[in-house]
Amino acid sequence: MRFTIFQDSRIGNRDGNEDRVAYSYSRDVLLMTIADGMGGHQQGEVAAEIAVQEITRRFQQEARNKLRRPADFLVSAIQTAHRAIVSHAVEQNLLECPRTTCVACIVQNGCAYWAHAGDSRLYVLRRGDLAAATQDHSKVQQMIDAGSITVEQAARHPDRNKIYSCLGGVVPPQITSGREFKLEDGDTIILSTDGFWSQIPPAILGPMLRKQALVDLMPGLMVEAQRRANGESDNLTVVAMTWEDQEDANVADTVTLEEEQFATSTNTTQQLDDGKPSDDVTEEDIERAIAEIQDAIRKVPR
Amino acid sequence: MPQQANQPLPAGYVLNGYRIEKPLSSGGFSIVYLAKDEAGTPFAIKEYLPSSLPLRTEGVEVIITDEANLSVFRHGLKCFFEEGRALALIQHPNVVRVENFFRANETCYMVMTYVRGRTLQFHIQRNRAEMTEGFIRRVFANLMNGLREVHANKLLHLDIKPANIFIAMDGRPVLLDFGAARITLSEEAMKLKPMYTAGFAAPEHYRFKPEELGPWSDIYSVGATIYTCIAGTPPQAGDQREEKDKVIPLRTLAKQKYSEDLYDIVESCLSVDWLKRPQTAFDLQKRLMEEPPEEKRGFLETMNIPLSKLFSR
Repeated sequence: MRFTIFQDSRIGNRDGNEDRVAYSYSRDVLLMTIADGMGGHQQGEVAAEIAVQEITRRFQQEARNKLRRPADFLVSAIQTAHRAIVSHAVEQNLLECPRTTCVACIVQNGCAYWAHAGDSRLYVLRRGDLAAATQDHSKVQQMIDAGSITVEQAARHPDRNKIYSCLGGVVPPQITSGREFKLEDGDTIILSTDGFWSQIPPAILGPMLRKQALVDLMPGLMVEAQRRANGESDNLTVVAMTWEDQEDANVADTVTLEEEQFATSTNTTQQLDDGKPSDDVTEEDIERAIAEIQDAIRKVPR
Repeated sequence: MPQQANQPLPAGYVLNGYRIEKPLSSGGFSIVYLAKDEAGTPFAIKEYLPSSLPLRTEGVEVIITDEANLSVFRHGLKCFFEEGRALALIQHPNVVRVENFFRANETCYMVMTYVRGRTLQFHIQRNRAEMTEGFIRRVFANLMNGLREVHANKLLHLDIKPANIFIAMDGRPVLLDFGAARITLSEEAMKLKPMYTAGFAAPEHYRFKPEELGPWSDIYSVGATIYTCIAGTPPQAGDQREEKDKVIPLRTLAKQKYSEDLYDIVESCLSVDWLKRPQTAFDLQKRLMEEPPEEKRGFLETMNIPLSKLFSR
């Protein structure tokens, strides 16, 4: 596979960065994923961290060669991440389960597959035009679909941050998968959090990508996105890939990777291992607890 | 409360010698059934079954295929054991009594004495006019006997609310549902995820610093419960009150006459600062049993309403 890849996450004007991002690829498969931990909930960054780590972990576990069913893998990996977040909340006695959005994309055999929950987005841009995009699981998207507001109104709507699907929380996430998408040379797939996409619409992104290569364009565009937020920029995160001419010797080929080797890049901090859920109730514990209770029942005079 | 998505046990199913008659209620972590033993004695059997996990879509066996779900299931099971341990220690007419505890169908069951009657919540919703000062003082003074016993066993109930107080046919209040109860001195138990009901949980309960919880936390919930009897709705949630206290004074919500003394009692129980609350169930009980000086006659009159009136249609 020959592609160029760009990844960056910026704090914007916030106190902390609750966005997490990662990409990882082997010779034959590429994963890109982004999670935007939800503010207003406890430990949004922890939820995002777990989501990105879990999805990457499962990817590296199962994509040694190729993924057999990439679309199914994505849904299943996102569900695993959701459960890992819930388990973390239980283990850490959190009053409220942390939440995060998530979008993940797999490229394999010249095709792209993706799935998402929440309002982090994926666009596919082809020759400057938007060829495919995720539909946000957001209140404003529902209103747009219903025809009650326009896209422009949605951008200023007071409920624009409300989403109805996320990882973590009581309700399992609603996960939407994209159809298998056959890539052509020059196609760009871009995953971003709302801090970025709310400032840079695809109509700007597309034409600029026609003129400039991804890795040359994106650093400046990240700065521009933050500038446009007028000092109120949310965290902004992007991971993007341009599918190159597969014969172009100027672009590195993943064939140079050793077998079962992964090249990975992420902004997760890898500090969650001690918080991993441990199933510390054994069969013996259960039997002992029941025996204790029955014993206590017998001892108390009736 | 989350909807219980799991299939209840079918009527007629025989569980460890108890024949299931029907489900009585279902909550976030369990289903409670009416069941009868071979002698025909009725019992309430609580089946541990977290509603958030898909565990039984058919049949009677609980099946967990997913490892993550198993971890959540077993964590909840620990809480269920805490409830069993808590109740097994207590033998008191104002506390629901646990008679048996066993394992079956890959989950656990707690057999409790079946009490005929209705929850306090039912009474509040049906007819708030029943909530006279005399009724409130009698029910809660009685209930404090049970709560004193709970606290004497180093337990905290931590989820006292109208739905967890049963009024038996004879008028006796019975404290139910020790699902949130914790053995205060056991560190293990304190590590479990706290459960609470907004509006009834004390402010310190939301923070979940175990060292701040004590009998006074249950006293807050009793105060909130009395508040609900009088106002018809619970007070503003404790965590919000700490940010901005907007509790509506009871005096403005009452639909009938109550003494200033009773308002003062409820107010002191609901103090955000736990040091300002009655510190023990006994303190609160004493205050409930004292007759308010200025309204002695009115209070005695309400006391004289025959109990039977409360349960007539």
